[in-house]
Amino acid sequence: MKLLLKFDFTKVCNTVLKQKLEAHQFNYQQTAFGEIELMDKVSEEQLKLFHEDINSFGIEVVEDPKKIVIQKIKDVIVDMVFNEKDINVKTSVYLSEQLEENYNYLSNLFSEMTYTSIENFIILQKIEYTKILLTNEDLSLTEIAFKLNYSSVAHLSKQFKNTTGITPSAFQRIIAKRKQIN
Amino acid sequence: MPTPSSRYLRTAFVVGLFVILCIGGFTYKHISELSQTSKVVKDNYSLRSELELIISNLKDAEIGHRGFLLTHDSLFLNPYNESLQKITNNLSRLDTLIVPNGEQVEKLKELKSDIASRFKNFDKSFSLAKDDAILSQDLLFLLHEGEIKMDRIRADITEMLELEQRLLIHNQEINEEKIGLTPLLFYGLLIVTLVILLLAYFKMTKDLKVLKENNVELEIFEKLTKQSEIVSNTSTWVWYIEENEFEFSDNLYRLVGEEPQSFEPTLENFYKYVHEEDINHLGQQVNMMMREEELPFTTYRVVHKDGTIRHLKAYSKLMDDTEGDKKMFGVTIDITSEVENYRIIEQRNQELERTNKELSAFNYVASHDLQEPLRKIQTFMSRLEAKEKDRISESGQLYIQRMKSASARMRMLIEDLLQYSRTNTSEKEYLKTNMNMLLEHAKTELLDSIEEKQAKIICDDLPTMEVISFQIQQLFINLISNSLKYSKEDVPPIIEITHEEVRSRDVEQIKESLYKFHHKITFKDNGIGFEQTYAEKIFLLFNRLHGKSEYSGTGIGLAICKKIVENHKGVIIAEGKPNIGATFIIYLPFLK
Amino acid sequence: MNSDYINIALADDDEDDRLFFTEAFEELKIKSKVLLFKDGIELMEYLNDSNNTLPNLLFLDLNMPKKSGLECLKDIKSAKRLRGMAIAIYSTSASEEDIENTFVKGANVYIKKPNDFEKLKKVLSEVVTTNWQYHTSGLNKDNFLLRL
Repeated sequence: MKLLLKFDFTKVCNTVLKQKLEAHQFNYQQTAFGEIELMDKVSEEQLKLFHEDINSFGIEVVEDPKKIVIQKIKDVIVDMVFNEKDINVKTSVYLSEQLEENYNYLSNLFSEMTYTSIENFIILQKIEYTKILLTNEDLSLTEIAFKLNYSSVAHLSKQFKNTTGITPSAFQRIIAKRKQIN
Repeated sequence: MPTPSSRYLRTAFVVGLFVILCIGGFTYKHISELSQTSKVVKDNYSLRSELELIISNLKDAEIGHRGFLLTHDSLFLNPYNESLQKITNNLSRLDTLIVPNGEQVEKLKELKSDIASRFKNFDKSFSLAKDDAILSQDLLFLLHEGEIKMDRIRADITEMLELEQRLLIHNQEINEEKIGLTPLLFYGLLIVTLVILLLAYFKMTKDLKVLKENNVELEIFEKLTKQSEIVSNTSTWVWYIEENEFEFSDNLYRLVGEEPQSFEPTLENFYKYVHEEDINHLGQQVNMMMREEELPFTTYRVVHKDGTIRHLKAYSKLMDDTEGDKKMFGVTIDITSEVENYRIIEQRNQELERTNKELSAFNYVASHDLQEPLRKIQTFMSRLEAKEKDRISESGQLYIQRMKSASARMRMLIEDLLQYSRTNTSEKEYLKTNMNMLLEHAKTELLDSIEEKQAKIICDDLPTMEVISFQIQQLFINLISNSLKYSKEDVPPIIEITHEEVRSRDVEQIKESLYKFHHKITFKDNGIGFEQTYAEKIFLLFNRLHGKSEYSGTGIGLAICKKIVENHKGVIIAEGKPNIGATFIIYLPFLK
Repeated sequence: MNSDYINIALADDDEDDRLFFTEAFEELKIKSKVLLFKDGIELMEYLNDSNNTLPNLLFLDLNMPKKSGLECLKDIKSAKRLRGMAIAIYSTSASEEDIENTFVKGANVYIKKPNDFEKLKKVLSEVVTTNWQYHTSGLNKDNFLLRL
């Protein structure tokens, strides 16, 4: 007899993956649909075995060198912003120094792979950091603008609003009210 | 003033009495001295007569003596012995009449011894005379001696008489003085008494006059009070605390629907008229009044005998009498009409509020729900354009364009109407806000437009006051966006925002305000301005000074501004000069 | 973002809006799976079933019959399992206070439904992208607030 089947691919993949990860006794976290983070260090051997195992199911580990570069770029930027690195040169110069690549190449790659530009990413990080400073450190906007090398408070305000759609003060208010409720 | 007057009177009388008593005392003393003096004079005369008697008695003794000497008849010894007796009596009387320590005492002693020696002389001569019939030498000698002694006695007596005379004169002088003084004193006494009587009379007449006048005033006042009580529906009452008695004014009786003084003014009688629901409360209040000696404002109802219900309000306070009796003066007012009015106003208010709420709910829902289909229309139009562009004719595309702009306009209208409905104040909180912050938010909202037009905004420091934040923010946004919109072509807009505090009475438009002070915030721009004649029209809903094609706009923005300012009990005024610029002045009251 | 599917869900009672939504995602060429729900009850039924894949990003209309968007938001934020979902409120309009209120209640994104299809695409793309950034760059999801 005929059976018509419908496949829920997401479910299938996830189930297989889960089984395999547990079989190899990996301590893992699924950070996204196609992304696993191994919490403990794993030897090359174990990794190779794992690769082979899931390969038979059609699951591949991506070792795209491009992806690695992207991650590196992100890491550098995050480090720059969150550690308040005082860079005396333009960010583009700094990045190309750190990654030892031509900036244009980096920029294009980043946009291609992440659909956003490096500039946007930097802004996003800065705004995120601003959010942390506003809520955790209770700093004033002026102090934060200074910390992050903005030319003025207005400039930071504007960027904040452009990025998030709300003003820094509204943001603070919302976070405060959320805390009150909880 | 009766009280000080009676004190005056009392003092005057006391003083007068005292004066009279003093003078009386003095007078009495004088009179007794006078009688004393006359006694002295009398004594003087008695003394003199006694002295004179002594001489005459001595003379009688001498006559007897001579007679006996001549005749040796013992018949002549009788006068002699009588005289002797008399003289002894005289002397003893003299003793009583003589002032003990005076000069006369010495003189009397002398006299007495002289008289004694004279009589010794007489006795010697008698014994001599018995023997002889003729005058012997011894006898002659004795007779001479006797004469000399007689002279001496006369001299003594004369001296004494002179002395007495002197004393008498002296006395007379004193007497005269005193006599002279006595009538004076009497007159004085009389005059003082008369003066006091007169003063008392005048004072009393004056006081009486004042009392009479006061009385007349009081009578007028009482009549006026009675009238005013009737006209103003008030009444008064008195509670005499000590005696626990009440006094009701005429109108209090009328307030409970009775004739004046138609029943005894007691609490029980009054309670009969009080509404059964209010009796307990009133009773408690009255009891408290009796304890605390104060009755705060108390309202209660009374029922007239014809069934009418009236609302009364009573108040009473302790009045201290000068005499010390404690009294409480009370006022009871008929407030039925006020209560009625209040009720009517309350009702109307509630109705208005309800209507208002309904209206704003309608407004909100209408605007909100209108947006949905409009949005769909616009989205489908854009889909149509995007997907079917190639298959639509030129005229078709034009129509679509027209549809797009019409719906865009409709959207603007609905958004503005929505904004307008949100300026309704019910359930909005007034919080102390720093308006500089609101201005900053407004600028941030309009940042793109500001940058595009290269506008410059110069602002003063704005105050902190109690406002509905989002409304004031909207106000600033609307005003600034207007200035940006109606700027001159190719001239970067410059917007000046200034602030100062003003006294309400110094400004025409707000001088009637109940608030003493206002914040004056001015928005001035250098745009195209407007004719001053339209200064009030521009705040009207849907009123525009330009066509849709010249400047976009719904005519709601300024109406919203006006509503917001009015929500904050303020005033907004527009001033325009064509081609120079527009100024919007906002007055917001605050408590300093 | 990479070549993986992103699970999107939309709860909206309006047929047209659901249509716009799916068409927009189709044209965006983001690899996505869009789930549609007609009302809040349907949505919660789906979410509460632990066998179902949770969406990465949930778009929630506020005005829905039977169960409103805010009620769903409340339920989702109280459920431990569902709390970590990124939620975008997708609504016609609301006052500033209401918008702030949805953020306070736990929404991450507030989108005012645009009246233009291109705008809609742009907005949805931005939401998805930003969400992805939070996802991949280890940013604090609690601070993910976006208003479009």
